[in-house]
Amino acid sequence: MSAPLTTRRPARQREDDRRPELSVVVEPRRRHTLAYALVMILLLGGGVFGAVALNALAAAEAVQARALERQVADSERAYGSLVAEVATLEDPGRIREAALDLGLVPSGPSRHLHLERNLPVDGAVVQAPLPESTPDPLKPVLSAER
Amino acid sequence: MTRQPKPRRLAGLPRLLSRNADRVAVRRIRWLLVIYGLVLLVVLGQLAHIQIVQADEYADASVRQRERTIELPATRGRIYDRDGDVLATSVEGATIYADPRAYQGGETAEGEIIPPAAEPVDVATALAPILGREVDDLVERLERDAHFVYLGRQLDHEVGREIRDLELPGIGVLAEPKRVYPGGGLAAQVVGFTGIDGDGLQGLEAHYDTVLRGEPGTLLLERAPGGLDIASGVRELLPSQVGTDVVLTLDRDVQHAAEVAVNDAVEQFEAKGASVVVLDVASSEVLAMASTPGFDPNERAQDDAEAWRNRAITDMFEPGSTQKAFTIAAAIEEGLVSPTTELTVQDRIKVGSSTFTDAHPHDESTWTVGEIMERSSNVGTIQIAQQLGDERLDSYLRDFGLGRPTNLGFPGEASGLLMGHEDWWGSSLPTIAIGHGVAVTLIQLANAYATIANDGIAMDPSVVRGTVGGDGRLSPNSPARQREVISEGTAKAVQAMLVDAVSGDMGTGALASVPGYSVAGKTGTARKPAPEGGYSDRYVATFAGFAPAHDPQIVVAVMVDEPYPIWGGIVAAPVFAEVMEAALIARRVPPDGSSPTLPEALVRAQAVLDELAAAEEEDEVADRLGVPIDDPSSPPVGDPASD
Repeated sequence: MSAPLTTRRPARQREDDRRPELSVVVEPRRRHTLAYALVMILLLGGGVFGAVALNALAAAEAVQARALERQVADSERAYGSLVAEVATLEDPGRIREAALDLGLVPSGPSRHLHLERNLPVDGAVVQAPLPESTPDPLKPVLSAER
Repeated sequence: MTRQPKPRRLAGLPRLLSRNADRVAVRRIRWLLVIYGLVLLVVLGQLAHIQIVQADEYADASVRQRERTIELPATRGRIYDRDGDVLATSVEGATIYADPRAYQGGETAEGEIIPPAAEPVDVATALAPILGREVDDLVERLERDAHFVYLGRQLDHEVGREIRDLELPGIGVLAEPKRVYPGGGLAAQVVGFTGIDGDGLQGLEAHYDTVLRGEPGTLLLERAPGGLDIASGVRELLPSQVGTDVVLTLDRDVQHAAEVAVNDAVEQFEAKGASVVVLDVASSEVLAMASTPGFDPNERAQDDAEAWRNRAITDMFEPGSTQKAFTIAAAIEEGLVSPTTELTVQDRIKVGSSTFTDAHPHDESTWTVGEIMERSSNVGTIQIAQQLGDERLDSYLRDFGLGRPTNLGFPGEASGLLMGHEDWWGSSLPTIAIGHGVAVTLIQLANAYATIANDGIAMDPSVVRGTVGGDGRLSPNSPARQREVISEGTAKAVQAMLVDAVSGDMGTGALASVPGYSVAGKTGTARKPAPEGGYSDRYVATFAGFAPAHDPQIVVAVMVDEPYPIWGGIVAAPVFAEVMEAALIARRVPPDGSSPTLPEALVRAQAVLDELAAAEEEDEVADRLGVPIDDPSSPPVGDPASD
């Protein structure tokens, strides 16, 4: 009895069939490691420098802002002192004493004249309106007229 | 030589050994991983503990370490007079402090010796002339066992700068608001003052403290351990809110004139004290309110605390004859009498067990009601009051504002004393009708006269016009309530009678005349109640009136306490004239054409000078002046009020 005839392909041929077709491999690009490192260093350096520079600028502005705040505070203090000084100088009691020191004497009873119109020195009658008074910057606005 | 094959039993040994080594390595690696894992767990656990459980605690510690919050004190609002002139303001002052332990030396925890920063006596010697204090006093403070002592508070800014420039060890300077009163004692009893910490303690400074004080701000900083600010760190500024300014109704010039007048009166008549109130008739706004003795709030420690009291508000007195205007006004309003109604008036009248007399003996006379007012007749006024009756007199007096505070809005205002008519007894009606057995404050008296001057319309007086906020504009207070007490006709009639009381031939208020203006008013002289009961031999002299009489604009009420001589027409009337003249000029009130000619004025002035010179002898005053004066003996013996 004879064995059935089968055509068996050799194993090597089967493996060859499974292999992909060969292709040309492109030579991998060479990586520029040094340039990459330099760029990164530059970026990092730039970032650090920028941060430090911004910090320095902020510090400089803060110093300037603080100096301005101090200046404002000094100006407010000076303004407050000047308001108090003006009020002291305007005090009727102080003015009275100063006048007495200068030799002035208190006036006697007042007398009044009723003028029906303004009479300038040249005799011409002028009906010019009185100039508006300038508001005192040291005083609050107490009415619509001021 | 042929190679001997290895025994089959040993052929797998190297592989076996290698496999065992791998297992050991793997096991060791696993153990390491376990250890690393445990360590990682511990780290993660600690991290979670710090970041989650103790996060707030560490955050707070961090904040405490680097952040510093500085409180920015609020600037207290100013107090202005009615024209915007400053009566009280705040400036930046300097507070000087010391750390006495800096002069004691010491030892650090590591045992390092810390030498004293300086000798206390050297520091005190350098500070004493600047602070104006004794060296010994400063040395005593610098040697105290404390970390902080004040050496001076609320000093001038320049003093602080000078001390800071000395760079003394252990000495520091703080900026602190300082309240100043530019006018010194001007309106001091009205304005009041603040304490060393800026809290209002007296007067309107106390009453409007919550308005004036403002809101303190904060400055949040980040600081390095060395104390230097971190420039790029957190910096949050919450500015302080400046206090609201308060605008008073006072007129600085009128106030000054009033203070000068009462000071002169106290000095001239050797009085215990004096007060004056000036009101604007149209609004009942207080233009001036002065009392003496006064004080300077800038240096109040040197003055008696009694001087802080606003006597025009807090002190009560019997109004005496000034009250007759209210009694007669009530009778006219009720239609019982008119200014021309004639009454038969004797020089004394008995009511119950009490006898009331006029100032001077006179025959039985027929006087009009106007003449009764002009002569200030006690008997005539009592006769009119008897027609009026208890209930109506009580009602009208209360309508005029007696017996209750005026709603002025000032702390410590007295309500006066006026018993309800249900509690009156036999002699109460005549006693009260002539201004005894009743007590008023000067502001009550002034406001009651303002009611007559305002054609019978009463308004609550006010001393504050409004407030000024951040926009610098006035927010006025609500206008005063108005109520009619007497009709316009009655008010006009009383006004005319009060003119005669000043300028009439028999008027008691001749010295109240103001050149160029017609003046209406009434004198009063009243005994002061004795502490033990009854009446003493001390007096209160008063005058209340208004001008111009035909178009009243200003009311002035004056009270002089225990003067010599005692008469209101001699003591209080000239003060009225001086203050009224200043007020009329300051408020630009035009004269009403009743000014005398120059020769007449000179003659009158000479007569006044002669009379004042003659007034040194009390018994001769009335005869030499030739004008009747109030009866200081009222109420008479037997009056319950004097028992």
